[in-house]
Amino acid sequence: MTRYAIYISIFASTVTLAIGLVIKEFLIPTVGVGILGLIWAISYTRNMYWVAAPEFALFTIISAISIWGGISSWLAFACVQFSLIAWDLTIFIQRLQITNNKDDHSKMERMHFIQLGLLAGLSFLGVFATTRLRVNLTFGGAAILAMLGIWGISALVYRLRRHEDDIDV
Amino acid sequence: MSRIALLAALIYIIFLAGIGSLNGSVLRLALPLGLYLLAGLWRGPEKLNLSAERTLSTEQIRPGESITVIITVTNHGESLDQVSLHDPLPDFLEIFEGSNNRLVRLPAQDSLSWSYSVRGRRGSHTFNGLSILAEDSLGLVVKRTFLPTRGQLLVLPSVARVRHIAIQPRQTRVYSGIIPARQGGTGIEFFGLREYQIGDSPHHINWRLSARQDNLLYSNQYEQERVADVGIVVDGRSRINNFCDRSSIFDDSVLAAVAVSSALLSDGNRVGLLVYGDRARWTSPGYGKRQRERIMLNLALAKTGESQNFKSLFIPRRMFPTNSQIILISPLHSDDLPVLAQLRVSGYPLMVISPDPVSFEVRRLGNRDSVKLAARIARLEREIMLRDLRGLGIQVVNWNTVIPFDQAARASLSRPITFLRAIQREGRQ
Repeated sequence: MTRYAIYISIFASTVTLAIGLVIKEFLIPTVGVGILGLIWAISYTRNMYWVAAPEFALFTIISAISIWGGISSWLAFACVQFSLIAWDLTIFIQRLQITNNKDDHSKMERMHFIQLGLLAGLSFLGVFATTRLRVNLTFGGAAILAMLGIWGISALVYRLRRHEDDIDV
Repeated sequence: MSRIALLAALIYIIFLAGIGSLNGSVLRLALPLGLYLLAGLWRGPEKLNLSAERTLSTEQIRPGESITVIITVTNHGESLDQVSLHDPLPDFLEIFEGSNNRLVRLPAQDSLSWSYSVRGRRGSHTFNGLSILAEDSLGLVVKRTFLPTRGQLLVLPSVARVRHIAIQPRQTRVYSGIIPARQGGTGIEFFGLREYQIGDSPHHINWRLSARQDNLLYSNQYEQERVADVGIVVDGRSRINNFCDRSSIFDDSVLAAVAVSSALLSDGNRVGLLVYGDRARWTSPGYGKRQRERIMLNLALAKTGESQNFKSLFIPRRMFPTNSQIILISPLHSDDLPVLAQLRVSGYPLMVISPDPVSFEVRRLGNRDSVKLAARIARLEREIMLRDLRGLGIQVVNWNTVIPFDQAARASLSRPITFLRAIQREGRQ
């Protein structure tokens, strides 16, 4: 099931970005995105799981750049969301391979899909909310907000990395 | 690059690009990534508080038999979304049923119990504990721990049944057994004649000889049968047991040692063992089933190694007095000749059971012409070495390991060497 979900996510992220680029008549970038998607799918079939991380990063960066090019922010968001799911599932399937217990597989898959679904839903709601909200800020207010944002992300990353790979004996 | 670092880098890039270009649509792309990171922090394990218990269905098995390992893991702390449990196993054990790995969710104050079966080759394994890897369900925050558990498994060597090993040491012990003691007394085999003494059974009087003598009676004497001291030396030097393709003839030596020791102990002899491998492991001489178990245990733990110098092979006389039987089980090397000659000179009757390393290796190297030629040369060298050993008065059994040991032993060890030589001479005539 996870395997199919990975293929679907790769396909969806490639297609959403490609559609956005085609609409704006960026034909060469469209072909490039198609090739990237194809490489991702093929490398996955050949168990080259490490490809998922650079592909995810590339798709995210291309989506951000494409917004400047004028493609729909919804299509860019969908591309980032699907590539995030594909990357996450690629790592998840490696964890699943630790065990050959089918019962464990189905339980963990179900839990993981529920959690991913919730996250995707929340992201969608968040993005939807931002399209409805309009806030006019002064330059100083925007700068403070930006600094607060950077500090918040840094604090989050610091906290996560502090807990990463601790060894209790 | 860790997953958190990748996500953080992407969020920073998007954030800076969004702020720099004053474009809210770009900033929106950071939302799924930020939520993903937050979910990791929210559900990530803080501190692991687990305990584990292991139960083995039995502690000793034979090759081919399986053992069930039951593991119970209890979570005394907070709920864990994703826990990977791994029970490390050595190479010589293979999983027969179930799995030694689990990937589960462990709710708070809950426990998980599972079992798997293993079987394997000869060896010993101490189950030290379980490797635990706890993560949030997205795999961002990882915590590892090792839960100690107790348990030891011993896979005993295979047993080839050999009914009798004919040995003729010069010295025997006082207890009756089945080894000819070279002394007259009660027994089965005719030993000699002596003058009749009061108390001799009339059945033992040699009437034919007595009839020819005036006023004298003669009694038959029979050879006493007693138990003997036997020392089995298993050669575990890696340079002669292990081959380049990681195969080893040592297991065949162990199999032979088990068969020989079992046969000699069941005949009532006092048997001791020396395994000469990673270190010299002695099993003091003893009798009976308990001694058999001790020898099996020692052989189960035996490994090849080079820590000992075979040239200094020392047989303690308080364990094996001079003239007691020594049985060396070794693939042999031409350098060993002086050591064996020295043992022979020291007064030990020596029997060498040699698993044939040439045939063993040739089977693995294929049927090429170069291999055939090399094998021919190696066989000739080996034949010369074995002939030299026989010349020293050492009984040598060259065992091609393709033939089961019980068959090889029946052909070469079930009768005394003198009997076998006589048959060979008769065959040649």
